[in-house]
Amino acid sequence: MAQTHQQLIQGDPWTINGKQFTSRLLVGTGKYTTNELMVDCLEASGCQIVTVALRRIPLGQKGEKSLLDYLDLKKYTLLPNTAGCFNTEEAVRVAHLARASGLSDFIKLEVLYDEQTLLPDPIATLEATKILVQEGYTVMTYTSDDPVLAQKLEQAGAHAVMPAGSPIGSGQGVLNPNNIRIILEKVKCPVLIDAGVGTASDTAFAMELGVQAVLMNTAIAHAKDPLRMAHAMRESTEAGRLAFHAGRIPKKLYAQASTPQKDF
Amino acid sequence: MRILVNGETRDVPEGTTLQGLLQSLGLRREALVAEVNRKIVEKTQDSALGLQEGDQVELIQFVGGG
Repeated sequence: MAQTHQQLIQGDPWTINGKQFTSRLLVGTGKYTTNELMVDCLEASGCQIVTVALRRIPLGQKGEKSLLDYLDLKKYTLLPNTAGCFNTEEAVRVAHLARASGLSDFIKLEVLYDEQTLLPDPIATLEATKILVQEGYTVMTYTSDDPVLAQKLEQAGAHAVMPAGSPIGSGQGVLNPNNIRIILEKVKCPVLIDAGVGTASDTAFAMELGVQAVLMNTAIAHAKDPLRMAHAMRESTEAGRLAFHAGRIPKKLYAQASTPQKDF
Repeated sequence: MRILVNGETRDVPEGTTLQGLLQSLGLRREALVAEVNRKIVEKTQDSALGLQEGDQVELIQFVGGG
């Protein structure tokens, strides 16, 4: 009997550092208007990995609920990020804090260069990757879409390289698919598109290129209707993956009739 | 004595431990990671860690992020 949609998705898992996942959509927990909406969006997205950040606790807010009170940790793997770090030392410190929570040894390593572009500092990113890999983290490194850097990160032991499709939060989609294709040819570890996705077609397009997964936050959280967009992103991630495996037809200049032209 | 907690100056009684500080702030330990003078403090060490004048305490939690 022909496989159902769900069987095809379930039968095509991917792994990071030995840990297996079937969802290929990773979702951030920032920027939602309420935590309740965030929980609903995570559920709708079908994600199994959620990114979180680390920040100082506001003092004088006794008994306030924290983000963790909203996240079912049996269901979601936490992927703490080092967002907001602008050098190796800061990023390594945040990674240490994340692991000290005892909740995850995954780290989304991001070492940024400047606040306007939020582009990664390639040299500091490579340096921090080396350190955290040695310290035993599962390192998923946010990077630019530079194929050479992606290879250097893999050589440094990154468990996944995550090129930005376009700048963080910009919603411009995948601006340089050729670079992503080259990265996919040159790198064996999982490649994820992290950042830049604006809508469902961007996600499907990214997945059709053959990346293992897509990570997003703003595209869902800042959509006019975040819950609807979370559903859309789930479906477009799955659609893109199915289409990647299904294999697209070559593009041709002229028409080819779908209906027989003879024997009227 | 004066210490710095998340960058804010706080007056606490001499002999205050990290555990005592967290209690006085009404914070749940399981929801946070603590650093004293840039060194992470294991949860089991809170009651043994006596704070000193000028200590810099950082109390960090998970928040939403992408």
